[in-house]
Amino acid sequence: MKKKFIYTILMAAGLVAGCQKDLLTPESKNAVSTLDLAQFSTTARIDGQVLGLYAGLRSGDFYGGRYLIYNELRADNFLAQSSNSVTAYQTYNYTVGNGAQEVTDFWSSAYNTINRCNLFIEGMAAKGTSVIGDAISKNYVGEAKFIRAVCYYSLLQLYARPYYDGNGAKPGLPLRLTGNSVAGNYDLARSTVAQVYTQVLKDLDEAETGVPLTYATALASTTRAHRNSVIAFKTRVYLTMQRWTDVVTEANKIVSTAAPFTATTGVANALQADYTKVFASPYTTTESIFSMPFVAGTEQGGGQSALSSYYYGVKLYSLNPTGIIGDAGWKATDKRRTYITYTGAIPYLSKFPTGSPTYADYVPVIRYAEVLLNLAEALARSTTSVNTRALALLNAVRGRSDASTVFTAADFATPGDFYNAILKEKNIEFLGEGLRSPELLRLGLTIPGKGTVSAVPSTSIQYIFPISATELIYNKLMTDNL
Amino acid sequence: MRRQLLAIMLLVCAIGTQLYAQAQTVTGVVTDKADGSPLPGVSVMVPGSKTGTQTGPTGRYSIVIPAGGPKTLKFTYIGYITQTVAVTRATLDVTLENDAKTLSEVVVTGYGTQRKKDMVGSVATVTAEDLVNKPVQSFDQALGGKAAGVQITIPNGVLNNPPVIRVRGINSISLSSYPLIVVDGIATYTGDVSGSSAAGNALASINPNDIESVDILKDAAAAAIYGSRAANGVLIITTKKGKKGKPVVSYDAWVGQTKIMNMPELLDAFQYTELKNTALKNAGTYNAATMSFNLVNDANGNPINTNWYDVVYRKGTAHSNSVSLAGGSETTNYYFSGGYTGQKGIIRKNDYNRANALLKIDHKEGNIFNMGGKIQFSNEQNLAATSSGSLSGEAFGTGGLGRLAIVTAPNVAVRNNDGTYNVQTASTIGRMGNKGSDVGFYNPGTVLDLDRSNNELNHLQSNVYLQANILPWLNAKTTYGVDYLLSDNDSFNNPINGGSAASLGSASESYTKNKRWVWTNTIQADRTFMAKHSVSLLLGNEQQRSVGRGFGAGRTTLSDLAFNDFTAGYTAAPSNSASFGENYLVSFFSRLSYDFDKKYFVTGNIRQDEYSAFGAGNKKGIFYGVGLGWEVAKEAFWEKAGLDKVFSSFKFRGSYGTVGNINGLGNLASYSFYSTGLYAGASTLVPSQTGNDQIAWEESRKFDAGFNLGIMNDKFTAEFAYYKNDLKGLIYNVPQIPSVGLPSTPQANIASMYNKGVELTLNAQAVATKNFSWTPSFNISYNKNVVTALSEGLTQFITTTSSLESASISRVGGPLGMIYVVKTEGVDPATGRRIFIKSDGRKVMYQHVVPAGQFRWSYENGTDATGISLAADGSAYKNTQPKFYGGFDNSFRYKKFDLNATITYQLGFYIYYGTYAGLRDQRFWNNSTDMLQAWTAPNQVTNIPKVYFGDNVSNGSSFPISDNVFKGDFVKLRSIDFGYSLPGSFLTKLKMASARVYVSGNNLLFVTKYPGSDPEVSSNGNSTSSSGVDRNSVGNGRTFTAGISAKF
Repeated sequence: MKKKFIYTILMAAGLVAGCQKDLLTPESKNAVSTLDLAQFSTTARIDGQVLGLYAGLRSGDFYGGRYLIYNELRADNFLAQSSNSVTAYQTYNYTVGNGAQEVTDFWSSAYNTINRCNLFIEGMAAKGTSVIGDAISKNYVGEAKFIRAVCYYSLLQLYARPYYDGNGAKPGLPLRLTGNSVAGNYDLARSTVAQVYTQVLKDLDEAETGVPLTYATALASTTRAHRNSVIAFKTRVYLTMQRWTDVVTEANKIVSTAAPFTATTGVANALQADYTKVFASPYTTTESIFSMPFVAGTEQGGGQSALSSYYYGVKLYSLNPTGIIGDAGWKATDKRRTYITYTGAIPYLSKFPTGSPTYADYVPVIRYAEVLLNLAEALARSTTSVNTRALALLNAVRGRSDASTVFTAADFATPGDFYNAILKEKNIEFLGEGLRSPELLRLGLTIPGKGTVSAVPSTSIQYIFPISATELIYNKLMTDNL
Repeated sequence: MRRQLLAIMLLVCAIGTQLYAQAQTVTGVVTDKADGSPLPGVSVMVPGSKTGTQTGPTGRYSIVIPAGGPKTLKFTYIGYITQTVAVTRATLDVTLENDAKTLSEVVVTGYGTQRKKDMVGSVATVTAEDLVNKPVQSFDQALGGKAAGVQITIPNGVLNNPPVIRVRGINSISLSSYPLIVVDGIATYTGDVSGSSAAGNALASINPNDIESVDILKDAAAAAIYGSRAANGVLIITTKKGKKGKPVVSYDAWVGQTKIMNMPELLDAFQYTELKNTALKNAGTYNAATMSFNLVNDANGNPINTNWYDVVYRKGTAHSNSVSLAGGSETTNYYFSGGYTGQKGIIRKNDYNRANALLKIDHKEGNIFNMGGKIQFSNEQNLAATSSGSLSGEAFGTGGLGRLAIVTAPNVAVRNNDGTYNVQTASTIGRMGNKGSDVGFYNPGTVLDLDRSNNELNHLQSNVYLQANILPWLNAKTTYGVDYLLSDNDSFNNPINGGSAASLGSASESYTKNKRWVWTNTIQADRTFMAKHSVSLLLGNEQQRSVGRGFGAGRTTLSDLAFNDFTAGYTAAPSNSASFGENYLVSFFSRLSYDFDKKYFVTGNIRQDEYSAFGAGNKKGIFYGVGLGWEVAKEAFWEKAGLDKVFSSFKFRGSYGTVGNINGLGNLASYSFYSTGLYAGASTLVPSQTGNDQIAWEESRKFDAGFNLGIMNDKFTAEFAYYKNDLKGLIYNVPQIPSVGLPSTPQANIASMYNKGVELTLNAQAVATKNFSWTPSFNISYNKNVVTALSEGLTQFITTTSSLESASISRVGGPLGMIYVVKTEGVDPATGRRIFIKSDGRKVMYQHVVPAGQFRWSYENGTDATGISLAADGSAYKNTQPKFYGGFDNSFRYKKFDLNATITYQLGFYIYYGTYAGLRDQRFWNNSTDMLQAWTAPNQVTNIPKVYFGDNVSNGSSFPISDNVFKGDFVKLRSIDFGYSLPGSFLTKLKMASARVYVSGNNLLFVTKYPGSDPEVSSNGNSTSSSGVDRNSVGNGRTFTAGISAKF
């Protein structure tokens, strides 16, 4: 009896024990495995991937805030109220080394987005197009190329000498155009600045024909690339390269010949009558050609990356009284001055006021006002004159915020004075929007000093960022900026 | 028959007067051999009869030996060696010897026990007496210096932080190098399982007083039975169980006090104000009205001069109470204990409370069945106000208290004169009289007063078993165990100042439940053939299933600032998070041991593991270990040579085998994934994990050779071992070029490394007399760690501290985690500039503020130099892993007094004292008083450069410099205990069996040249490749305790 009992127990144990095979092959409950390109297996997944490319652009280290922040803080319009290295003090102070967070993380973030674009473009060819159809596929691939171009252009602004310096002959970036999904040996040398710009323009040209003319909603027309966004961005690229006539050609596609200047095809991009409407909810006016969306509760900005946290919410950086806000020509009644808010005696930029925890202000990537001023500058410089249409464009931007100021040709003794007026207008119009450093660099201008920080001439090593330390270590063919 | 008769006759004659074979009364006193104290409750039996009694409160007994029975008495007492004594007189006093020594002779191996003398594997045993009544939260904190080959570092002074445990060096690069911990047969959770700023060591759920022994399996012969998880060694924890005999009630209690020690000396308000103004003037930016530092008066009219140490730290107090009841009958024994400890750490509001209970029962049913099990439950509270800045990843946290205490300006106070908190913005302390600059980060007083970051752990560890002893030499056993670890976190950030003040407060709660079951089935056969051939065979199957689920939510912007709970009203949309993880390990294993005449020993272990996290083709692995032993002292020639007169034993042993490591591997590491997110309200799908379908376990090939010897009947013992762990296929997060743009760093079994070293343990019973004894124990370990390969083409990798500072580098050909710095060479006496050494060897000097047009960097001759950077000019400077470590333990007893002193040491390593960079940083930060030696005039020889306000380069904040690297060697008087056992007369009055009162001190003394608080430090916790970094960590405290141990 006892023996039977024992054997029964042993057998039961032996049977139930052993092994439960199914437990050995768990599957994820929340992520899509890439086996058989499953991420391209449904239209919903493909739709999600396209938006994921934009989400890459929107990351905190990139257009989610920090890319703009770096380009503002390294210039002259802001003064540090904090010396925290985590919140870009080293960029402000020109002490960034190769290992600085700004240098390594923006680099990684932009290339991460580039790789998403590359993987997407390849995956669409391999599988996605057959799932979603040719027409939509063409749109989506166009969007991917636009985003890739924005990434490379943005990297160039901080990690490479400006195009004017040797006409793009200086070291540019490793140009990566194929998708990487597994570990491997990917050493790659830097292409020249010119070669990278060539790729940026190629992508933008292809995007121009690929992306849709317009979207169904204002939200989509602001947060996704349409034809006018591609063209608008091209004006910025050509301007950076000082290819004035190309700027004019591109801008003319989306700027009418006479005031009121508006886009005549695609999304009806135009200046808003009220400057402040652009920076207020819902942030989707036709002036915002392309912006990064943030949503309270679900898609909040980052505490140490959002524009508001630097300029206003946490008040890490105040406006420099001797920067552009000290300019006498920028009248007190100018509507754009309503964004200068004082805390005690210290002025802060309140253009992006939505602070912790939501940081839900949209981040502008490109606005129609910039296209107008890009066109104005290109018209003036390409004709070396106080070009009439250029003057009208300048007045359009100034006039909507300050009707009392109307520039006339007589105000400018030389074409150079006129160029400077346009540059100053940009400085006022886009204060805090991340254009300041690229605007100085593309022309080789000295970055003015501020507070205790000295000016940085175009010959200085500090004129641009050093290369990411991790890139230098792991990419055997990479070289630093010297 | 005739002979028996004759014998009886003779005996009767011998006894003399008592000629008749009649009952005899014997009386006597039973005392403890160690201290002579009487032992009450000792069972006194006439063997083979039912006649028996027990000693009374004074240890006295009286027994009547029946006529015709054997003239012997058997004395049995729990925890003591049983003695059978011949009755030669009517008064028979007996001394019993504590059986701690016999306990140490048994070693718990995986799935069984073995006599230590039969072991061929390398196993170190730490017994209960080294673990009980220490002022620690978890037993592992008390293991330091107790076992050769086991390096324990308590990385900071935060309560209940898991110590760094390394068994024979660091045995992994990317996965964990933490050993497998098996508690009563069940592999348990390890590491910091708190989700809050308070540390929560999973192992603290076990009351150290409930532990019988900790056996550390170090080589393949011992550890291979744990297969794919044994590469880092295995710690087997065995809890106490009851023994046959009268129930014994034990009560242990202690109270203690902990203080901070060796804090860096900081500038006071006067010195601070002067130094910072000097720095401003040197920089040319001083302006009394807009940019200056100034003293202001407090409400009493005295200048504010805050010592922030007083705000952040406190005198910690702690107490612990444990009670246990143990006993048993012929068939059933039981152990039941309960304990409560409440400990307040040196950081304000950092508390640890634990309530625990353990019930353990073993029962023998008939001749065949054994059954039993245990229920162990603990509730722990790990409490903190906010981040200490000391746990892994926290070093640069803005609110880290370790950092706030040294950074914040001394000329401002927690509160304004009107009593309100002194704040500038939501996240900075108020500037008070200072102009134009921040003077701190968070107001430490506000966050300490109002914030909360608490964790609560409920931990259930239970098992039941049934064993069938089918034949005398064959048994089958099934054990089912569960380990449920539930972790609750509750945090609050105040609306006034700190992490969430900008959004007017936030609260969060999260909950993680980790559930594991382990089912083990074994069959064991033990037979001895022809007297000399002993064979033992174990066959087993085990399954381990772990599932973790978590949920958390956050709420922001208080509706009413009076509240601070998660349940209060909040205006912003709540956030939430969730997590899920599962894994499964199924194994078959076997052990075969054979010895011939206790002279020649062979043991082989083999285990096949299948693990769910590996790629489809790599789930299965086979691990093995083989050991050989030779007891030379049993050889005839040994005796012939007369060596047996000296050596009571002399055993050579050696082993080789292959084991693995999976600890720390992601549950789904083999897959590449895309994950969802949101963009403008719609779903996104983005690459999230770069997987590797070839991923498999790490492999450790362990070789071990050594000998154990005993001299003069084991009065003196020595153990020596040489080992080499050859680590192959180490999983490495193969760093990809950032511009490749992969979503995560892919893992591959690509790196290799080795540890080799020697261990020596010496134990002696130096003096053992009735009144005085001295037992010294010494161990030393030498370890050499060398990385032999990383991924292809990669010769080095850098590890950051808290994601910010790249102070650690590991290179092929060198040890893991060397300090990575730019070399410096003092300060130029002519100009007061810090001298840096460029990679080409040229000296470059730095001046933070230079006239317009000049560069900050220049060569000695004054020409402009390109800037120094870590990437270009950094070098692998010094090693951080100790070459030598160990302990020296001395126990003395004089009559009823006892004294134990434990010394631990770690030698031959360096520490990057990153905190020192902060202590000399020329931003607003408060500084070390060393800054008073700053250069001021030409020809001044000093190591502190001229101060320029804003300078974060010269002293190592911007990138690490060699000037902040120091030798870490230390010898620590880790603990000293002084006790007194109460005399029998006194005990009788109190109706106690024994009682000892004691006082002890921890961290009392140490010898080191390290200038930081404590060279026993790790800002990166258990990290394998960034040890030896001290960045804003709170050092260990110094503890005094007093306590009592009593038995009833």
